[in-house]
Amino acid sequence: MTEKVAIVGVGCTNFRSTTPDLSYRELTYEAATKAYEEAGVEPKDIDSFVSTAEDFFEGYSIADEYCPDQLGAVLKPVNTIAGDFLQSLITAYMQILTGRLNIVAVQAMSKASNMTTLKELELFAFDPVFNRPLAENPHFVAGLEMNRYLYDTKITREQCAKVVVKNKLNALNNPYAGHGAKITVEDVLNSEIVSYPLTRLDISPSSDGAVVMVLASEETAKKLSDKPIWIRGVGWCSDTFSLESRDWAQPISTKIAAEMAYKMAKINDPKREIDLVELSDLFSYKELQHLEALKFCSKGEAGKMVDDGVTEIGGELPVNPSGGSLGVGNLYECSGAQKALEIILQLRGEAGKRQIKNANIGLAHAWRGVPTTTSVIAIFSN
Amino acid sequence: MGITEKIKRNIDMTSWKDKIPVNYIYTVGIAGEKFFREIKDNGKIVGTKCEKCEVTFVPPKIYCERCFSRLENYIDVGTKGTVHTFTICYENVDGTKKEEPTIIAMVKIDGTDGGLVHWLGEIDSKDVEIGMSVEAIFKAKEEREGSILDIKYFKPT
Ligand SMILES: [Zn+2]
Repeated sequence: MTEKVAIVGVGCTNFRSTTPDLSYRELTYEAATKAYEEAGVEPKDIDSFVSTAEDFFEGYSIADEYCPDQLGAVLKPVNTIAGDFLQSLITAYMQILTGRLNIVAVQAMSKASNMTTLKELELFAFDPVFNRPLAENPHFVAGLEMNRYLYDTKITREQCAKVVVKNKLNALNNPYAGHGAKITVEDVLNSEIVSYPLTRLDISPSSDGAVVMVLASEETAKKLSDKPIWIRGVGWCSDTFSLESRDWAQPISTKIAAEMAYKMAKINDPKREIDLVELSDLFSYKELQHLEALKFCSKGEAGKMVDDGVTEIGGELPVNPSGGSLGVGNLYECSGAQKALEIILQLRGEAGKRQIKNANIGLAHAWRGVPTTTSVIAIFSN
Repeated sequence: MGITEKIKRNIDMTSWKDKIPVNYIYTVGIAGEKFFREIKDNGKIVGTKCEKCEVTFVPPKIYCERCFSRLENYIDVGTKGTVHTFTICYENVDGTKKEEPTIIAMVKIDGTDGGLVHWLGEIDSKDVEIGMSVEAIFKAKEEREGSILDIKYFKPT
């Protein structure tokens, strides 16, 4: 039985605020075409397909039925995860570990620009009885979290703003990224307040795009690719959905998912052993919270890491070199895909102007956004 | 495989505008029934306690989210609490600007591990602080209909 599984092909579209020229199916088709070409496979060679779809975000009920065609998966084994791409990747990984399937394709896509009532749809994710009747903009949950996190840790709004400045700057060197910019801390602090203390620029803007990856068992991976990227560890965890009983200052699900992934990857000292990180920065403060939860520093120390430039591309632990969600855009279920994609490009040495030297082990992390408490992690090595 | 010819002019693009009409009735269940009846009939807030974990859930649940025990011990938890965190919301759901911003707080109900996410009222946003004491203000009894909106807001004590 195979114990090692690698990514042998990746494909993506550009990540842009709108993509009117392609339907959501054609977005996936474009990414799939590239991934299969890179892996040197055709759909007939692929044993199983894992897609990612969230009914209301796709605009369908039973959206999973609309997944096969654009992947070349008609009359093939397909299953769909209503979660983040990284959860789908873990599913594909486990399918190969069974020893019954050799090559598995995994997909995620965002066509956020099709959702003309995006925030209303997000509000629909709230508890209907206790929370939805307030009919408030879903960003209020991020405002509540950020306020408590800053209160507990003494991290400042300036330090959160520095995350935005860094990530948008990184995105300028990522040709796929749609929201790169050179801005200042003052720009972030002076942008309009959406839900105090959260400003407009603290929030990742929505984006369209698709990612497809091809995974293979060890023996096949070595045949298909001269730069296979290995999955070293995975972890996932969901906290309570209740706004009323969750922790408002810390993403505990990320902490537990990290413990699971580190144990599997035999990582004892994440900061020393991991070379780069792509973590969920759907809101600026989330990058800092997640750095702490992933044990790259102790609680309340993430602000200092940003102050000291540790998380910049040239720093000791580059964080979101792709530009993250703040610079690439919020891709919803596809967010984790964009993060895994960056890790894979970096570990192959194909990240162009934003290439990190000596990148051998990278961590990708996703959180499913407001109001969820689900975190997913995958650790890769070259 | 691959796309060989893309659409090159915006004017050539067609789209179909659709709506998903979604109507739903959410029954509130056993614990919800107790909770909303107490609010409606008596202006009281109740929770359930897990003796094993020594955790009191507000709103009540019929199971402990930590140890999965069945919970049947409903207790009156009073109407006073503490602002655990707050935010000042400037935008409506559709992204338009509110005429007046609203203050939303996670109010931890005193003596419990839970609370309610609700508005703060009778206070200027400049004066709100984490840790301040507040109490629930209910609508008049004849206006109450068994919903979370039977609480108008929490106000400073
Ligand atoms: Zn319990």
